[in-house]
Amino acid sequence: MTSMHASRQMLLSPENITLRASSSRGMGLMLFGAICIAITFVMALMGNEDNHMNTVALHAFHVGMLVTIGFPLAALGANMIFHQFNAGWMGAMRRQFENMMCLIWVGALMFIISLAMQLATVMSDSVYLFHWMEMWADPSHRTELYEHKAAFLNLPFFLIRAVLYFIVWMGLARLLWSYSVKQDQDGDRWHTAHARKLSAPGIVLWGFTVAFAGFDWLMSLDYHWFSTMLGVYFFAGSMLSMWALTAIIFVSLRGIGRMSGVYTDEHLHDHGKLLFAFVVFWAYITFSQYFLIWYANIPEETTFFILRKEEGTLWQTLSWIIPVGHFIAPFVILMARPAKRSFKLIAVMAGFLILMHIIDIYWMVRPQAHDAPAFTWLDVVGIAGPLLFFFGALLRRIGSGPLVGVNDPRLDEALHHKNYV
Amino acid sequence: MSKETHQHGSANWGIMAEFDDVPAVYHAAEKCRDAGFRKWDVFAPFPIHGIDEAMGLKTSHVPKVVAMMAMIGISGALLLQWWTIGVDYQIPNGGKPLFAWEAALPITFELGVLLSAFGALFGMLILNTLPMHFHPLLKKERFLRVSDDRFCIAIEAKDPKFDIDGTRSFLESIGGRNIDVVEA
Repeated sequence: MTSMHASRQMLLSPENITLRASSSRGMGLMLFGAICIAITFVMALMGNEDNHMNTVALHAFHVGMLVTIGFPLAALGANMIFHQFNAGWMGAMRRQFENMMCLIWVGALMFIISLAMQLATVMSDSVYLFHWMEMWADPSHRTELYEHKAAFLNLPFFLIRAVLYFIVWMGLARLLWSYSVKQDQDGDRWHTAHARKLSAPGIVLWGFTVAFAGFDWLMSLDYHWFSTMLGVYFFAGSMLSMWALTAIIFVSLRGIGRMSGVYTDEHLHDHGKLLFAFVVFWAYITFSQYFLIWYANIPEETTFFILRKEEGTLWQTLSWIIPVGHFIAPFVILMARPAKRSFKLIAVMAGFLILMHIIDIYWMVRPQAHDAPAFTWLDVVGIAGPLLFFFGALLRRIGSGPLVGVNDPRLDEALHHKNYV
Repeated sequence: MSKETHQHGSANWGIMAEFDDVPAVYHAAEKCRDAGFRKWDVFAPFPIHGIDEAMGLKTSHVPKVVAMMAMIGISGALLLQWWTIGVDYQIPNGGKPLFAWEAALPITFELGVLLSAFGALFGMLILNTLPMHFHPLLKKERFLRVSDDRFCIAIEAKDPKFDIDGTRSFLESIGGRNIDVVEA
């Protein structure tokens, strides 16, 4: 109760909402990530038909890239949703979502590195990440099924789409960020109105591009297979991991004595509700996809699950770990009200859910590397590279300015936010 | 009438006091809570944010009822489907197992949600002792204004701390006006 009555000036004093200036913050993580990426790249070049390390490197890096892109992408969507709904309780939290959304460039960088890695493995051993690219490159290998999909699955259009996605994402993020920092300086309420106006078409563009990115980068790994749910699947997993990472950020900031009275257990409670909601949403989407395929039992659809449920001990094990760890356990643990109001428990669950999201993407991508050994040290390095680089960049960004958009017109409402149920 | 003297040996249901505005009734509620009263309530024309805290109300038991009903719904649905399609009337279908959790899940989910919703609605009604067709306070002409522009605190005679004179002067001391004894 005391924090509720503390004055706005006290809550927004520099000691509470800025980090100590440090030029080296996050550099260690970024460097470590870069080293991991370099090792992955070298292994992609050194791999051969016997050890399949090139295939492992490609797939592991792809997992890391997709998880990494998911964070800023989901943060961008969350920001536009806050603006569109004029969400008052988010007033003081918005800046951290903005910090995250501005890192889409890390995703773009990883995408370019991934393309370079694919080019390298194709040149050295003609190992492809996307098998349809092999068919596109060599017409004599084409199957009838590929011919049907060639209008969409061809390299030029694939690259055009990717460029388009990144233009949309980086453009929206840049505009929203510029409104937000301009408001920090001049306090003009119109910036919020502009951001809100931009968000309406922005959400539509974002929704389509995220779904199609899921189709392009996840589903087309096996061009035989198709699921209209997959775009939403990618969205649901990314959103969940983004809520989890932002929860960890706020809990850590509170842990080092920042944002006290600004991010209270009331905000944590709602953050926990969103985590819980997306745990359920992810399960709903996942089951919807699995259920229809299971029921219809059509060979071209069931291949995806036969590979993961019947072949390979690791994939079978993960097929059980994921529903339990990604849904049942967090569902039961996060259901109770006291759980959502505990900083410690939310932080632990958030970390756990990010791990489950990585495993989920791993389970979707990695079995596609049929001949390669199931799990190697390179999987860890390949996934860790983009992620560590991203976490480092995020840390740098968080420390680079105030932790709160200090002139947000919704700030008062945010500081007094309270759950009445 | 014999009805007026029931087992407590008192013909009174309790005492009511009026308050003019939200802050007055809010702070009076805090004092009632701190004085240790148990059988009492605040009446207002609209919901007052934070009044549960001021009254010292604990979290409601409705979630427990909902959780119990959900368990009944889930296990009931699974049992029903396992027995009907898996044991009692087996129909082989497309090479699938006679009873599969995949096929059972939608009905399990629906029945779990349905019974949870029943639990939430009826649990809430029962815990609120609703529907209630009559309440002693309704005999008071003044009390009708709590559905318009008055706030009211009523302490029941059943409360262990209740005694007519003491409670009356207590209500006076916390700012209550038009204090009135309510007959059972």
